Amino acid sequence: MNMRNLLYIATILAGILLFSSCEDLDREPRDKFTDVKYWTSESKAMLVVNMAYNQMYNAGIMWRDEFLSDNMVHTYGSSDPSTIRRGQATPSLDLFKNEWKDSYGGIKTCHVFLKNIDRVPGLSENAKNRMIDEIRFIRAFIYFRMTNYYGDIPFFTSELSLEDSYDINRTSKATVMEFIHTELEDILNRGYLPKVDNLPAAENGRITLGAACAFQARAYLYENNYEKVKLYAGRLIKEQDKYGQYKLFEYPQNPIQSYFRLFTPEEEYNREVILDITYVPDLKTWTDMKGMAPITKHAEISADNPTQELVDSYLTMNGLPVKGADKDPGYDENNPYVNRDSRLWGTIVYDNYEWLNKDGSINIIKTKLGSGTSDSYKGMLELQTKTGYYVRKYYDWNMGANMKNSTNIIMFRYADVLLMYAEACNELDKISSEDWGLTIKPIRARAGHTTAAALDYPAAKSKQELQDIIRNERRVELALEGLRWFDIKRWKIGDQVLSGYLHGFKFGGSSSSIDGGYLRAGEYKFNNTRDYLWSVPLSQMDINPNLKPNNPGY
Amino acid sequence: MTCKKCESLIFSLLLAFILSLTTEGVYAKQTDNLVTPPSIQAAVKGIIKDGAGEPLIGVSVTVKGTTNGTVTDIDGGFTINCNENDILVFSYVGFLTQEVKAGSTSFFNIIMEEDTKMLDEVIVIGYGTTTRRHVVGAVDQITSKAIENRPVANLAQALQGASPNLVIQQRSMNPNENTMNINIRGVKTKTNNTPLVVIDGMITDIDNMNKLNPADVANISVLKDAGSTAIYGSRSASGVILITTKQGEKNAKPTVRFSGSVGFESPNILYTPLDGWQNATMMNVALANGGNSLAYSPQQIQDLKDHDDAEWMMDYIFKTALQQSYNVSVSGGTTNSTYMVSGGYYNQGSNFIGPDYGIKRYNLRTNLTTEYKRMKLNVILGYTRNDIKGDEANAGFKIADAARTPKYYYNTPRDASGRYIQSSISTNSAAALELGGYNKHNNDLMNLGLSLDFKIIDNLKARGVFGFDLTSNSRFIRRLQYNLYKQNSSEIARTENTDRDTENYSFKGTFINTQFLLDYNKQFGKHTLSAMAGVSQEFLNNKGIDVKTKYTDIDLGIPISEGETQTIFNESRTEVNNTTERVIQSVFGRVNYNYADKYYAEATVRTDGLSRFPKDNRWGTFPSVSLGWRPSEESFMDFYRDKIGDLKIRGSWGILGNQEIPDYLYFTTYTAYTNSAGFNNSAVSGTGFVEASPDLKWEKVKTFNIGADFTFLKNSLTVNLDYFDQKTTDMLDKPITPSVYGTELERVNIGSMINRGWEVTLNYRLSAAGFNHNFSFNIANSKNKVTDIPQEQIETVDSNVGYITRAGLPLGAYYGLKTDGFFQSYDEIKNSAIPDNVKNIQPGDLKFVDRNGDGIINDDDRFYLGDGFPHYSFGFTYNVDYKGFDLSMLIQGVGQRKQALRGDIYVPFHSGAWYPVMYKHQLDTWSTANTDAKYPRLTDDSSDSFANNWKRGSDIFILDGKYLRLKNIQVGYTIPKKIVQKIGLGRARAYVNAQNLFTLSKNSFIDPESSEYDNNMGRSGTNSGRNYPTLKYYGFGIDIEF
Repeated sequence: MNMRNLLYIATILAGILLFSSCEDLDREPRDKFTDVKYWTSESKAMLVVNMAYNQMYNAGIMWRDEFLSDNMVHTYGSSDPSTIRRGQATPSLDLFKNEWKDSYGGIKTCHVFLKNIDRVPGLSENAKNRMIDEIRFIRAFIYFRMTNYYGDIPFFTSELSLEDSYDINRTSKATVMEFIHTELEDILNRGYLPKVDNLPAAENGRITLGAACAFQARAYLYENNYEKVKLYAGRLIKEQDKYGQYKLFEYPQNPIQSYFRLFTPEEEYNREVILDITYVPDLKTWTDMKGMAPITKHAEISADNPTQELVDSYLTMNGLPVKGADKDPGYDENNPYVNRDSRLWGTIVYDNYEWLNKDGSINIIKTKLGSGTSDSYKGMLELQTKTGYYVRKYYDWNMGANMKNSTNIIMFRYADVLLMYAEACNELDKISSEDWGLTIKPIRARAGHTTAAALDYPAAKSKQELQDIIRNERRVELALEGLRWFDIKRWKIGDQVLSGYLHGFKFGGSSSSIDGGYLRAGEYKFNNTRDYLWSVPLSQMDINPNLKPNNPGY
Repeated sequence: MTCKKCESLIFSLLLAFILSLTTEGVYAKQTDNLVTPPSIQAAVKGIIKDGAGEPLIGVSVTVKGTTNGTVTDIDGGFTINCNENDILVFSYVGFLTQEVKAGSTSFFNIIMEEDTKMLDEVIVIGYGTTTRRHVVGAVDQITSKAIENRPVANLAQALQGASPNLVIQQRSMNPNENTMNINIRGVKTKTNNTPLVVIDGMITDIDNMNKLNPADVANISVLKDAGSTAIYGSRSASGVILITTKQGEKNAKPTVRFSGSVGFESPNILYTPLDGWQNATMMNVALANGGNSLAYSPQQIQDLKDHDDAEWMMDYIFKTALQQSYNVSVSGGTTNSTYMVSGGYYNQGSNFIGPDYGIKRYNLRTNLTTEYKRMKLNVILGYTRNDIKGDEANAGFKIADAARTPKYYYNTPRDASGRYIQSSISTNSAAALELGGYNKHNNDLMNLGLSLDFKIIDNLKARGVFGFDLTSNSRFIRRLQYNLYKQNSSEIARTENTDRDTENYSFKGTFINTQFLLDYNKQFGKHTLSAMAGVSQEFLNNKGIDVKTKYTDIDLGIPISEGETQTIFNESRTEVNNTTERVIQSVFGRVNYNYADKYYAEATVRTDGLSRFPKDNRWGTFPSVSLGWRPSEESFMDFYRDKIGDLKIRGSWGILGNQEIPDYLYFTTYTAYTNSAGFNNSAVSGTGFVEASPDLKWEKVKTFNIGADFTFLKNSLTVNLDYFDQKTTDMLDKPITPSVYGTELERVNIGSMINRGWEVTLNYRLSAAGFNHNFSFNIANSKNKVTDIPQEQIETVDSNVGYITRAGLPLGAYYGLKTDGFFQSYDEIKNSAIPDNVKNIQPGDLKFVDRNGDGIINDDDRFYLGDGFPHYSFGFTYNVDYKGFDLSMLIQGVGQRKQALRGDIYVPFHSGAWYPVMYKHQLDTWSTANTDAKYPRLTDDSSDSFANNWKRGSDIFILDGKYLRLKNIQVGYTIPKKIVQKIGLGRARAYVNAQNLFTLSKNSFIDPESSEYDNNMGRSGTNSGRNYPTLKYYGFGIDIEF
């Protein structure tokens, strides 16, 4: 064989070699499960349930809802809650769009789970039905939030096809609420959800039968259906064998701190808590405190501050309000934070506040203008507080300067159930002494009240006066827990409390001729015919005209 | 088509190849006979000079039809053996090749004529070459001359303005990021408008283009139309950039070239804040106008005035940086082989203060060819290393924080004792840059290109190509904990970066490209036929690992468990999480015919199979045809040819493809995310899903092109015109999914769009009185329009800038209210439509056009407000030399573009306490004394007026973004050869140059190239102008040849 032939052969061989490594064009992802391979075990199915938990509720939503209420000012100028509160909302607000999108994302997870759960082999009926009921609870909760924000919403109970998503109509709020009630009733009847008493510690945070009952009560509360509120709240109070043993949390070492301790990481999963969202140190945390805590407690900038109006709703320890006809004569506007309901200390940081550290040591927080600390009020455009107040409740005293809060966020707790019950009783027929003793009294006693004015049944008060007392109690007890905005909606008091100026403290150097010297912390507007509901997102109406007409006023 | 099918195709091609070999022996013998030279020879001598009488070194002198050859020496002299009947061929780059009969002359005085015709310029096209005369597609060639000596960080920057409709937009001047949009002929897809890059015949990633040493580039072809790009079918819809690197020359003595340049990049911050006291005063004015109480008392303002202002944080964090570049190369060749070895070093310091930020690049490249009988072997070995060090992340935020720090005296970056202070806006960008940690990249790229040509018979060549890219990137991020102090106090105000993250990412990618080509060329009579067929496979395999730790040791950054500090490994990923595999198999062919250099026809087809698509849609076929005619060659046009010049008309039509989408999209996938939820204080994972798009297929772009090439004035003026029309169907796009659907589809084939445009290039050479001028001007435009889209999308971001995607409008269209000046009186307000959610409007606030005349301004009154794509982009290059001096300049710009801008750079005090700063360019606000102002009256962000003026998407946020920029200017001097030869050099040139010397634009405060749009007119948010400053460069350099 001569050289030339050798070369030919070499070339041909090279050519063949080039393509002998003909790669397969079928390539599967390696870091994700494909649909065929996913629904194979209970634990995989549970991971989807976990995702639904994640999409149900979180700290950000709780604080955002709180920013919509008169409990706080939210001074980040261009933020959507500020825009809404100034009466400047338009259908194109990102908040309207994002809430809508996130909610339906959660609904989708629920429906994907319900569609596929039967594919999982070897799943026990109990385990399967418990997961299904958890998912149904979560779906109901997301729809509940949606319908409260937007009124009538697109509503469906199994996966929506892509085609249908382009032309689905809105379903009336009443129908959605009816569905929620039916679902919860069915969940309660099926009884696959465990009672809290039977919940192993490892499952703390999972949805229980009691949570479904509390949710049912709240769902009826937001419809002002007090019969039903009384029924379901009553079950949690009076049928604890069936729905789980709940009670107000007490901190026996130091009872006056009970309320405060309820919101510390050390006391999570106590029996007052009916359902909460778990946060885990370092791994799953929330950082909203960066804009709320005192500067010396590592806030970056103070944007979200409690209002004077909230502070004024706390009673004195004499059981009397600081304003109005029953005003406590001992209350001194210039020394306003002494002898106040312990829940004020547990919730809000004020001038000369005694900040309790975990190790028992105390820092004094000064907020008064000119008091010369990093926390002192300087002006409405400085990084310090805008009202003279900072947030204490939910502050995680284990966290460092990174402000990664791992305190659980409570969705339902027993005090809320008691307050719902009290309100229902009073609305149905002036609250009785017995019901008072069952509800308001223990809540106030837990807060450290001992006086008759605080604890005893105010028999002389009219139903209307009692309504004010119960509502005020609800505001105080549940302050900064994301519920006030919804109470404002159902009480229809938006134009009273969300219009005009909200205020900061008296120690910011304002002239006493304006609003008694209380800082004006922002002017707000509330449009009765519009602002109880959010707008359907403009972007969604653009895609699907069937979502129109929009809610009135937008 | 399946893999089996492609195998059988390969097999049949191989068979054809083998068959062709069987008949080969006969021809081969004949060819052998032909190259045997006659035997009687004599030595002849000569000297070769250019038109100016300078001797030319390295001119190739060969005896025609033989391998006998030499090159001229340093005096332009040569000696060669030949006989009387031989023809001597003199060739030299840039000069016309001359042929002279040897005859009996023993000494030749040859004057080489500069090649002004350019028609015979070799043009690199896909899988081959052609000449300017024969090109029937829309192809631009950029020679190394256009990019030499530009002080640029990478090739893409060097290409700006070099070719019409090659639109390059540098969105950030940060050397560590260098965000650039590279686009040929506009936007025709939403998926991938980045051209395909081919380096020395090997398809590669555009990133690799920027890793090339610009000094190594011999020429770049920009393929634009279907005719020229279809050979790359599947991925060529956005054009192709073909880069050929420098090779040595045959029969050339070793030439050593050295070039070096050093310069300074100085940051040019385009806006200036008010003095401290003035800022506080204007803040009070804004608050008062908004009906709010004042923020600063007269005492406070006096206090600010009594103190000297602090150095502005922006001025503190930016500094002038050094840029250096050095290249050395050795090249040459013998009769059978050539070599080129080059090394380069580039170092650009960052303009950020902070320890040693910047980028260093090292290049090494060898390019060897050797021929042995019928074989030609080419080996390219390239290595590039990039060492990049920058701040840990989010430079944009640091710039924003620095820019919005008021110059109040207490906002000095550091206090008297050197501590970094907490500024009045809480942050301190200087500390973040100097103390906050760093982000280091060490990226290696090794590429190997092997090609073996084999001449089967005279007209048939086979070629095997093997390309291998090995990318190895590593990134190390360390965030360091540091303290900010209260001004002049040892009290710690804040501790930053308490997470103390340490992150390590390592990536290894291999890319293997194998090709097998057959090339046939035959001339019979006036007919020239060439054909090419080939198969190719590309296999990409990327793997990466990612280690992320938090709460590491404060000093070393190592994992540590110490009391409450427990290092956690969060979101760390092994290579399983970061594996991508992709395969593309292709079969392609081209037939080209021309008759008498007068009529041209070409047909191309390529079929590609790609792993990104599901089985049934995997294969796509992309055909094209081109036709060309040179009327000036017709006999009836003799007059034209003799008196005017050359004329060619050409056209092409074809279908091109696009597939640049994420992999694996036709699977429904579930991904587990750690720490999604928690129970009993333990975190658990949650699973999310991505829904499949099971019917994905190729996006197709029908492309039509018609063009004409003219030469005038004895070829000293050339004009090229092109018009193109592209229609994209089955567009791969992320569909607008209603939120109720609950998830989003990543990509589906939806909608169609058209993209039309034209381009003009003029080149003019003029030599007079010793001056050699060269003018080059190009201008181009493209306009796209969505023609069909299932869902229009309107989005207003941050209630500022509105965007719309709608049939009939271009991609990247702005949408919002139209302003109609300012309200000048209460009466006018009373009689005008105002927004329905804003009550308290005052004179000096914006008035909007009530489009539908319903008396209310709302979202129904919005207009289309123009688009963000650069139109009428142009480049003008002027070179002149006179004796040893040369001057060159490049002016580049855009004739029409809308530029959206929001944020504190544009809107004064745009979010109260968070952006408490105002800039000088914002001062022209409406007042009763200034009713003809540029901006509405100054108000604070909580007021109704502010909501009216600045919280509605309107054209107030849309600026005119046209500009003209003197990109580069260079003055050089080449030392006369007589002098440099005495010191043993072949050529020596020194120059000074400057970059971005001046810019003309409508808006002084924002770089006109800054944009929120990426290359696909996709965007991330809106443009808040948080740009790295525009850099001006001043430097000098030398080129030496030995």
